[in-house]
Amino acid sequence: MSKATGTETTRESQHAADGFDLYFGPVHPGSGNFGVKLRLEGERVIAARADPGYLHRGFEKLMEYRTPMQNAVLSDRLCILESLNWNLVHAEAVDRLCGMEIPERARYIRVILAELSRIQSHIIWYGVLSKALGFDTGFKVAFGYRDYVLDLFEFVTGGRVYPAGYLCPGGVRRDFPQGAKKRIEDLLAKMVKMLREFEAYDSKTIAARCRGVGVLSLDEALRLGATGPVLRASGLAADVRRDAPYEIYDELDFEIPTREEGDAFARSIIRRREIEESIRIVRQALDRLPAEPLPPVKPKVAGRIPEGEVYVRNEIARGEAAVYMRSVGEDRPYRCKIRGPDLLHMIPVLEHLLVGAEVADVPAIYWSLNICPADMDR
Amino acid sequence: MTAIESEGRRAELLKRIGSSFGTEPRIAEDGTAWISVPAGDLGKYLALARDDGFDHCSAISVTDWPEEEAFELTYHLWSYAGRVLLTVKSRIDRRKATVDSAVPLWGPSAGIHERELHELFGVRFSGNPDLAPLFLESWDGPPPFRKDFDWRAYVRETFYEEDDPREQSYWD
Repeated sequence: MSKATGTETTRESQHAADGFDLYFGPVHPGSGNFGVKLRLEGERVIAARADPGYLHRGFEKLMEYRTPMQNAVLSDRLCILESLNWNLVHAEAVDRLCGMEIPERARYIRVILAELSRIQSHIIWYGVLSKALGFDTGFKVAFGYRDYVLDLFEFVTGGRVYPAGYLCPGGVRRDFPQGAKKRIEDLLAKMVKMLREFEAYDSKTIAARCRGVGVLSLDEALRLGATGPVLRASGLAADVRRDAPYEIYDELDFEIPTREEGDAFARSIIRRREIEESIRIVRQALDRLPAEPLPPVKPKVAGRIPEGEVYVRNEIARGEAAVYMRSVGEDRPYRCKIRGPDLLHMIPVLEHLLVGAEVADVPAIYWSLNICPADMDR
Repeated sequence: MTAIESEGRRAELLKRIGSSFGTEPRIAEDGTAWISVPAGDLGKYLALARDDGFDHCSAISVTDWPEEEAFELTYHLWSYAGRVLLTVKSRIDRRKATVDSAVPLWGPSAGIHERELHELFGVRFSGNPDLAPLFLESWDGPPPFRKDFDWRAYVRETFYEEDDPREQSYWD
């Protein structure tokens, strides 16, 4: 390995009296494709160095070779855990460059699916955090409920995990199938039940392992570039859905949960509260969903993208996601920069939080950030 | 914050940028603000933006223009209080691609983007304490996201055999 890293040590020095090197990852269950090199002194972490790159696929460059409809499918893969949210960021960038009018019903469908995807992503986080803390019940309960959401995704988009660019430039690939509304309502009822179960576990495992662990102050959160639930758990009520509304978010009534503590437990409370808010959003959107059916999608974006540049931001489950797209009037983008929340959360924030932590707290800190190597490496 | 208060703060911030930068930013249809500055003064303007209240460095990006021998740097900045997205753009010479780092202004949140751009485009950010490669291992070729680096040709020549009948289609 010739990669130059700051804490690279030789085998001899691993056993030196001043510490011990521990490689956390990259095949750790639940993390996958990402590692952190820890230097320990006794039970305490004295240095941490993130080791990204295992999932680098060069999306930004791949997109320069492809048309927007092909890129819509590619955008699924930006983060396996919340592919619909990434679909939406990409679609909006193309929409704005092309000055496309999105039908009202399609904008509602986009928001409903983006919020369900957020719920689904938060469920995975809950499951993986539980697993990391040795709380297998939480893991199994969460993944059981997640499947209900995936069933709905399959029913609407055709894909359980990857929707194949369902939220595409120009709207959505196809209208809701017959009976979708009823099925979503049933799903939300299940989600409410799930939240009650999560709450019942709270005072035991998760609180015991997460309270007071991995505290991130607001100043540090801003300096390290934290966004989304991580930033809100440190006390700043910032959310792109409210601060720079896109789609129909300015017409909806929802709250931005915040906490002051900044610890791993605060981050876990925030995500559960966000599931509640997402349920509220989906209910409102379903109530107001315009009745007029959508015409079948014509992939008219096969033509040229007008010359111009946009920077589009969205609030996804993990934080701020953005796409900078530059077009020179060809049928594919000249440059497509993808900004994901995890490049920040998994390198500066994680390294900062791990230094000084007890080695037993590493999993709690690591998964309280709800990391995703796919969106960090791109 | 009500919608009217928010709009008031936004207008005030846009006015403040206009006066400190000495030029009005272009406001796009989606409400984002864009401003181009000369390369020599980039550091000065970024510091002005930081002082004006752009406390979040959302991203830094590079667009490669090989025919004009230029890299275009774009700094996407957000103000949590003013709720304005400002993009500061600047063109630098591609042959001497060095600029001052934004780490003194935004800390590690800018540093990590610079680290990525250094690896993928070969832009040097002087003053950034950590420009170690992020993604690539044992890579000694040119920075791979530059426009004049042909990925497809590289993959074909590195990983496929022209005289292997099963891999012929990659060479057609």
